[in-house]
Amino acid sequence: MVALQRAWRRESPGERLFTIGNVALMVALIAVTLYPLLFVLFASLSDPALLSQHRGLLMAPLDLTFEAYHRVFQNPMILTGYRNTLFYVVAGTALNLVMTTLGAYALSRRELRLKNPIMFFIVFTMFFSGGLIPTFLLVGQTLHMQDTPWALIVPGAIQTINLIIMRTAFAAVPASLEEAAKLDGANDWTILLRIYVPLSLPVIAVMVLFYGVAHWNAFFSALVYLRDRELYPLQLVLREILISNNIEGMTTDVASGDKFALGETIKFATIIVATVPILFVYPYLQRHFVKGVLIGAIKE
Amino acid sequence: MTSARNIPCGRARGAVEDGMDKQIDRREFLRLVGVGAGAAVLAACAPQGGGPAAASASAAGSAQPLTLPIVNAPLSLSYWAPMSSNVIASMKSFAEIGCYKELEKRTGIHINFQHPPLNAELEQFNLVIASGKYPDIIEYNWLQSAPGGPARYVKDGVVIRLNQLIDQYAPNLKKVLADHPDWRKQIVTDEGDIYAFPFIRGDIRLAVSAGMALRRDWLDKLSLSTPSTLDDWQTVLRTFKDKHPNGNSKADELPLSTWAAVAGSGTGARGAFSRYSFIGAYGIGMDWFQDKGAMQYGPLQPAFREFLVKMTQWYKEGLIDPDVFATTQATFDAKMTNNQIGAASMLGGNGIGKYAGLMAGKGSFKLVAAPNPTLKAGEKPLLGARDNAYPGQGAAAITSANKNVIETVKMLDYGYSPEGALLYNFGIEGQSYTMVNGQPTYTELVMRDPKLPSAQAISRYARGNFNGPFVQDVRYVQQYYELPEQKDALTAWTQPTNEKLLPPITVTQDESKRFASLMADINTRYDEVFNRVWSGKAGIDEWDGFVKGLSGMGISEALKIQQSALDRYAKRPG
Amino acid sequence: MRVIATDGLPLTAPLRSRPSLGRWAVLARDLRRNKHVYLMLLPVVLYYLIFHYGPMWGALIAFQDFNPVRGILGSPWVGLQNFTDFFSSIYFARLLINTLAMNVLDLLFGFPAPILLALLLNEILWGPFRRLVQTVTYLPHFISIVVVVGMLFDFFSRDGLVNQLVASSDPISFMQSPDWFRQLFVASGIWQQLGWGSIVFLAAMANVDPQLYDAAKVDGASRFQLMRHVTLPGIMTVIMVLLVLRLGMMMTVGYEKIILMYNPLTYETADVVSTYVYRRGILQADFSFSAAVGLFNSVINFGLLVGANRLSRRFTGTGLW
Repeated sequence: MVALQRAWRRESPGERLFTIGNVALMVALIAVTLYPLLFVLFASLSDPALLSQHRGLLMAPLDLTFEAYHRVFQNPMILTGYRNTLFYVVAGTALNLVMTTLGAYALSRRELRLKNPIMFFIVFTMFFSGGLIPTFLLVGQTLHMQDTPWALIVPGAIQTINLIIMRTAFAAVPASLEEAAKLDGANDWTILLRIYVPLSLPVIAVMVLFYGVAHWNAFFSALVYLRDRELYPLQLVLREILISNNIEGMTTDVASGDKFALGETIKFATIIVATVPILFVYPYLQRHFVKGVLIGAIKE
Repeated sequence: MTSARNIPCGRARGAVEDGMDKQIDRREFLRLVGVGAGAAVLAACAPQGGGPAAASASAAGSAQPLTLPIVNAPLSLSYWAPMSSNVIASMKSFAEIGCYKELEKRTGIHINFQHPPLNAELEQFNLVIASGKYPDIIEYNWLQSAPGGPARYVKDGVVIRLNQLIDQYAPNLKKVLADHPDWRKQIVTDEGDIYAFPFIRGDIRLAVSAGMALRRDWLDKLSLSTPSTLDDWQTVLRTFKDKHPNGNSKADELPLSTWAAVAGSGTGARGAFSRYSFIGAYGIGMDWFQDKGAMQYGPLQPAFREFLVKMTQWYKEGLIDPDVFATTQATFDAKMTNNQIGAASMLGGNGIGKYAGLMAGKGSFKLVAAPNPTLKAGEKPLLGARDNAYPGQGAAAITSANKNVIETVKMLDYGYSPEGALLYNFGIEGQSYTMVNGQPTYTELVMRDPKLPSAQAISRYARGNFNGPFVQDVRYVQQYYELPEQKDALTAWTQPTNEKLLPPITVTQDESKRFASLMADINTRYDEVFNRVWSGKAGIDEWDGFVKGLSGMGISEALKIQQSALDRYAKRPG
Repeated sequence: MRVIATDGLPLTAPLRSRPSLGRWAVLARDLRRNKHVYLMLLPVVLYYLIFHYGPMWGALIAFQDFNPVRGILGSPWVGLQNFTDFFSSIYFARLLINTLAMNVLDLLFGFPAPILLALLLNEILWGPFRRLVQTVTYLPHFISIVVVVGMLFDFFSRDGLVNQLVASSDPISFMQSPDWFRQLFVASGIWQQLGWGSIVFLAAMANVDPQLYDAAKVDGASRFQLMRHVTLPGIMTVIMVLLVLRLGMMMTVGYEKIILMYNPLTYETADVVSTYVYRRGILQADFSFSAAVGLFNSVINFGLLVGANRLSRRFTGTGLW
């Protein structure tokens, strides 16, 4: 606090204006970006009939009711979904981190002759792919991964864009550190693990976030490769709950009733159920976005 | 991935043998017609015109009558079927449905169900086909959702041709098809091959699920009667607009509106307004229809221009919701429950039923279903929204991987027997239905389940309310539509004669590629111009320009393709 | 980022006259010297080989009339027919223009926005507030697109919130107007992805050597000068790399969001390549057609990427390769 006051006093009037404007902008930004989540939260707790009548901003639940959440959680697959997704996130992100870190370190080595060709080789795959059927045949049949959890973890072992980001971060580490370590007789493994990784915690935190969230949200691979419902990740379970309660598109199936309006509020409840766990992860990772992680490293 | 498959019972389909098949069919038919006592007329069928009624005489047919159990040694079959949203609410697979548990007891055959995730059926179907590893039975919408059309899968040896097998081992289905040659015509390919055990809507009241509906309380308040001609509609809509029947102080009434699952597809040329709601009055359709065997394309008809002019005028007068082009289900619901909408095209269940439920006890809200309008009083509307008796979904095909074809045929045939029909449509006697005055009546257990809507409760025991390889029984929907408004809707919406409706024609594979290519551009232009003119953004001359330009876009080629499909359909044996 | 000029040899190598070596010998030496590094690369390269190059033969179905039953080996070859089919559509030009226009607009506004946010966030000195803004702004990323578009429809309808705020006598129906579509599309995209997109830049900023800041402050640099001369250059590599990749996506606009947002009245500006292909696929799941269009898109995208990479290397010294 004291440091803040000191900083404020030191600023020129122009800078102060900037600070005020900046803070105001941030507050407006918070309002605008918080609203969608609040809307979803309030809608999920609202009475469906009142909700369907409502137009415009929603500032509170309409006639608070937990019915939508009851419906979601009474589905027997929900716990299985959570458990499976937890596994996919942990195992998947671990594999991602290992593979991406290895690749990023290797490709950031300045003296590597094959560096550029391999980079080209990798980036090429971002643009050209075989499509769903050949990939499915490879993963599902040739590699026999169909209906196993590996189908959700191994084919996505590296996201190229993440690899590129991490490589860029590694390339920014001063070469002098590497040279000093080599003089001490360290090999690349040691350099990677003892120097690069600790220095790149912000980027690694970002990787954990990106990969973790990707696994958490994933449903398409599960859709394609899993037939055994016991392996379904959470998103797939939620998707089915959602669809089964939301008979919007059905034109030929005859259906009666009043219990269908619940479909809308269930849609919102599934979003909350899927999103809230992730929201708790970010604050932990945020700690690593702190300046000055390089302290102590610059001892040449 | 080879196309060579060991097709059990398959023979080269030379012309001679086809002819022989037909002959046997007719002889069989005559003999089967004689099997009296056991083959009672299925409860579901109201005759749909054509086909002599079955006369009774007893004789034995060379088709073996179905005896239960079908097998004595344990037999397991793998069965791939799309999951139904009704079922998944409370169960993990069809195996848990009451009717299948009972079916296993009766036939002795155990079924291993495989279900793709909801709404991912097409992708999964393609993957199953591409993998070459087929389950024993694939239940799917072969007619409309199998890329390339069903004939291709028979030709390429994925599913087996069933004609001969049905002849010999499926007396129940055989009888059903013999009694209804028009059904048979719908379920075969152009070459006359039966590729799956079909789902049939046994009554026209099952085939209609959508139509026009208005606010009855507004009509009453303004002393109007349910409109029947187009002029009546105009009067009613104008009165809705001028006299503010919703009772609030704002002139926010939207006399006519609509919605669609995705904004724009409802008002796109083939959207909600294409439930022939108003265009049917002019005796034409929004795109493809037929007139006495000649294929027609709606926009080319001069009557279409009249229709468009009228709609444009209505929009200009404010009789149609100005935001109708960008209305999603949620906004439509809001307008409906906020008492703004006077009339709309909607579903019987997820429309009339839903709003009645949402607005129960909130004022005087009441909906009434209206028949499709006509041009002149006393006429019957010519075109309405209606499914064909064979809509396509729920058809169970036997794949070439099946090693127990005969037993499978018998098992699937059971669904078309009287006992099987009751089982599939109503479930378990004593649990999900009881016989009241000889009519199967759903019990309180399923109609008044405390947690589930009746749709989902019924699906715990039966399949009659979604689809499957059997004939759907009209008595299910008569009980299902509980509200009087819904029951009236059944009558109102089945008015149209629908002579001009397109039967389920199929285009050949090469043609379909060309057709898709032509129609992609034509449909885009059609949607665009239609909406622009209707909403007043462009004048009717832009429409005229579009119609003139159609020949340059290849419409005559498209017409030819459709016409040959229609001709082939007409020539189908049946 | 410091650019260290080397000739490929680690600085610890003793200087000696280097004889001209053949290319393979150079490679062999490289492998020996960096065997651990190549060992690290092995699983990575294997992964790409197996899972990305393995199925790549599937791209060939663009030149066939693909039948999933017969597979690639059994389906007939049609050469470039799928491509000419696409090119000869009367809407070909419009689709391309709409796709590019949407991406250009997004590039101009959507690409810098997260960077700006990261820079501004960096200027917030009070930690708790800064963390609060960070956490909240990334929330919309998790809301499904269906909900976001639903909100758009509600807010921008004729009697919706926006028209009420503007309170003009002639309310605009935004969602039915082709003039507003692109703006709504890009703006709602920024709204949803702004916070999430800024994460990578915040992490990059955290990696900037604090000594650089201290040194500049000692020289009397103001906040703005710090931003311009320390922060921005510090994250420039990340920005350039992401920019190059973004340029390599100029032909790609996902159909999901547009399908939810558009209607025939807005086709003029809203209909893009992917939505057209999607609509066509409804009539008949034509694998070959969508594969051909996809291949066409990819070739153009890749060309743009290579070009962008070259420019990036020329002007900033960094690039993808």
